[in-house]
Amino acid sequence: MSDGPKKTINKITKGFAKHGYICSDQISTAVYLASELEKPILIEGPPGVGKTELANTAAMYFKKELIRLQCYEGLDESKALYEWRYGKQLLYTQILKEQMQEVLEGAKGLKESLGRLMKFEDIFFSEDFLETRPLLQALTSDKGSVLLIDEVDKSDEEFEALLLEILSEFQISIPELGVREAKVKPLVMLTSNNSREIGDALKRRCLHLYIPFPDAKLERQIVQARVPEISESMQIQLVNFVQGIRQLDLKKQPAISETIDWAKTLILLNSEELEAKLAEETLNILLKHQQDIEVVKKEIPALISSATETSDGKSIN
Amino acid sequence: MEKVLTDFVKALRNSNVRVSPAETLDAMSVIDEIGYDDRELLKRSLSIVLPKTPDEKQKFETCFDDFFSDEIKKQVPVALKELKDIEDVESDLAKKLLEGSQAELMISIADAAEASEIREIRYFTQRSVFTRRILEKMGVGKLEDELMSIGSSRQDDIPTELEQELRNQLTGLRERVSDYVQQQFLLHGDVSGEQLREQVFKSMNMAQIDRSYLHEVHSLVRKMAKKLANLHSRRKKNYRRGKLDIRKTIRENWVNQGVLFNLSWSYKKVDRPKIYVICDVSGSVGAYARFMLMFLFSLTEVVSKLRAFVFSSNLGEVTDEFKDSNLDKAIETALQKHGGGSTDYGQALTDFVSLCIDEIDKKTTVVILGDARNNFGPEKANLMKIINDRSKQVFWLNPEGKYRWDTGDSVMTTYSAYCTKVFQCGNIEQLERVISTLLKTAI
Repeated sequence: MSDGPKKTINKITKGFAKHGYICSDQISTAVYLASELEKPILIEGPPGVGKTELANTAAMYFKKELIRLQCYEGLDESKALYEWRYGKQLLYTQILKEQMQEVLEGAKGLKESLGRLMKFEDIFFSEDFLETRPLLQALTSDKGSVLLIDEVDKSDEEFEALLLEILSEFQISIPELGVREAKVKPLVMLTSNNSREIGDALKRRCLHLYIPFPDAKLERQIVQARVPEISESMQIQLVNFVQGIRQLDLKKQPAISETIDWAKTLILLNSEELEAKLAEETLNILLKHQQDIEVVKKEIPALISSATETSDGKSIN
Repeated sequence: MEKVLTDFVKALRNSNVRVSPAETLDAMSVIDEIGYDDRELLKRSLSIVLPKTPDEKQKFETCFDDFFSDEIKKQVPVALKELKDIEDVESDLAKKLLEGSQAELMISIADAAEASEIREIRYFTQRSVFTRRILEKMGVGKLEDELMSIGSSRQDDIPTELEQELRNQLTGLRERVSDYVQQQFLLHGDVSGEQLREQVFKSMNMAQIDRSYLHEVHSLVRKMAKKLANLHSRRKKNYRRGKLDIRKTIRENWVNQGVLFNLSWSYKKVDRPKIYVICDVSGSVGAYARFMLMFLFSLTEVVSKLRAFVFSSNLGEVTDEFKDSNLDKAIETALQKHGGGSTDYGQALTDFVSLCIDEIDKKTTVVILGDARNNFGPEKANLMKIINDRSKQVFWLNPEGKYRWDTGDSVMTTYSAYCTKVFQCGNIEQLERVISTLLKTAI
C-alpha cells in the first residue's frame, strides 16, 4: 500500500502482462484509479481492442471472481438484479395453508386467530425465495468480485437508470426487503461500442477509458504475447501490414483480435514470409466485409512492400 | 492547490468539455491519490476522470498542455549584484524588478490585472490589449522614460550594467504578463468562440448562413436534434411490446390462493408515428429546406418512419438518399435534382396525393415547408383538404416573416385554412421550436 502510485501502476502493467494482456500506461492507470477510488470504469473503443479481455485479466490479476452481465435490448431487472422463485413461493403457500390449521387450532374468535396469524413468521418475501442475478451476486459476493457489464450500449435507457444506484452507492434497493449493500465493493467495468450514446448520468459516475487501436509497437508486443511461436520478422511484417490497412477507408477496421487470429492462421499455414498470394487468400480473417476485402486486395502489393521495407529497416538498425 | 484544479476545470469547461461538480470532486480525490509531482501521470489520470468522450479527450489534451505550460521555467534567477543600484533608479517598477522578488512581482501583476478588469476578457483578439493595459497599470511607461533618460545621459554607446539588467527584466516582465493574460483568457474567455458562434447561428436567418459554415451549423443542428431526441425518446420507449408480467400476475392472484386466475400483461403500446415532409426547394426557399431536412434526418432515433419529398414544380421522393449517404451530399443531390425552376404548389400537391395518399392515416403528420408563392398558378386547395382530413395533423412552415404572407403571389391564407398549425420558421431557433412541437404532438 505504501508503494507510490507509479510503482503500483507499473506493477499492474507487469501483472497484466503475465496474464497475457499487454496494456498501455493509460489502461493500467485507469485500473489503478478504479481500484483505489472504488469507482466503476466505462471502457469505450472500437470492437476487438480488448475491452472485455481487460475485465477478464483484471479478475485474474486481483484474484477475484468475474461476474459477467451481457446486455441486450429488453434486458430488465428480473434478469440483471434478482427474481423471486415463483414456483417455490407457490408451493410455500400450499404448505402454509396446511400449517394454518395447526396454528389456528383452538383459537377463539376472529381477534385471537388474527393475533396468532400476525405472530406467525412470514417468509414469503425473504432471501430464501430470492434468485440472485449477476448484479446482486456481485454485491453479495464475500470475497469481492470483478463485475463486467458488457456492451451497455445495447441495453435500453431504462436499464441505464437501474445501474445508477449500483454504480454510485454499491447498493440495490429491493422493495420487499430493503436496501442491500455490498459486502465488498466490486470492481465494476462497463464496456460500450458506442452504438448509442451513453447517458450523461451514467458517464458522470464512471471513470472513462478510451482504448483506441494500438500503435505498431504496442501491437507487436501484443502479438508476441499472444502468439509467441511467431518469428520476429513475420511478426513485424504482419503488424505493419495491419497498421497499413487501418489507414485505408474501410467499413470495419481490423482490430487486435483479428490481427491475432491472422497471426495464428499464418503460423498454422507454416509461412515464414508475408506473401501477396497468401495474404490475399487469408484476408477474410482480417476483414469482415466483402467490400473491404475488395478495397484491400488492390492495395496488397503496396502494403506488403512497405511492410517488408520497414521491417528490413528495423532489422538493419 | 485546490484552486489550481478548479481553475483548470473552468478552463476545460471553456473549451467545451462538460465537467460536472461531481467529476471535479473525483478529480480532487485522484489528485489526493497521485499528487502533482508527475506531470505525465497527472495528465493520464485526469484524462480518465474528467473528459468522457474521445472528442472531449482530445480537447482535454490541448487544454491541459496550455494550462499547465511549464510555469517553472519562468523562475529566472535574478542576477542581482549590487543592491545599491536600487537607489539609482526612481520608478517603483524598476525598484521592484531589481529587488527581484518573484512573489511580489506576481502579486503586482495580479493587482494590475484586476484593475484592468481582466475578467471581462472574452475573445483571443483581446489578449494584446489586456497585456498592454496591465503593463501600463504597473508603470511600464515610467520605467521606459527612465531607461530613455539613462540612455541619453551616458556618454558612450555601451549600455551600463544597470540599464542592461533593467531591459532584461522588462522583457521578462512582458513575457510573464502575456502568459498571465493567456491563462486568464483560458479561464474567462470563450476559448473556441463556439458559444458566440452558436448563438449567432441560432438566431440568424437560415438563408443567410454562408455555405462555408455549413459544417459547423450541421454539428449545431445535430446537437440540438440530440437534445430533442433525448427529450422525446423516453416517452416513446415506455410504450413497447407486451408480455406476461409474472411478478404482477402472482401478486394479483395471491388473493385466489395462488391460483393463477387473472393474468397481468406488461403492456407496451406500439406507437409508430409517421412523418411526411414536403419541402419547396426552389430558389430562395431551398436554403431553408436544407436545414429542415438536416434537422429531421438527425432525429431518426425518435422518428421511426420519415419520408421526405422535395419539389419545385414536380415532386420527387428523397428519403433513400438521406438514409444512405451523408447528409451534406444528400442535400446537394436533392437540390440539384429537384431544385430550381418555377414553383407550382398545385402540381406538387397533385403529385403527393397520387403518390402516397393511401399511406396517410391518423398517425401521420404532414409537414410542408414553403413560402406558398405559387406564381399565380392554380392553388388546388381541395387537395390540401384531402390531406388534412386523412392525416393526424398538417404543419406548414413558412420561412418568410409574417408581414410578407399574402403579399404578391403568396397564397398562405388559402392553404393555412387546411393546416393544423402554421409557423414562421426563419432561423434555427424557430426551427427547433417547431420540431419540438412536432415531436410532442406526432407521437
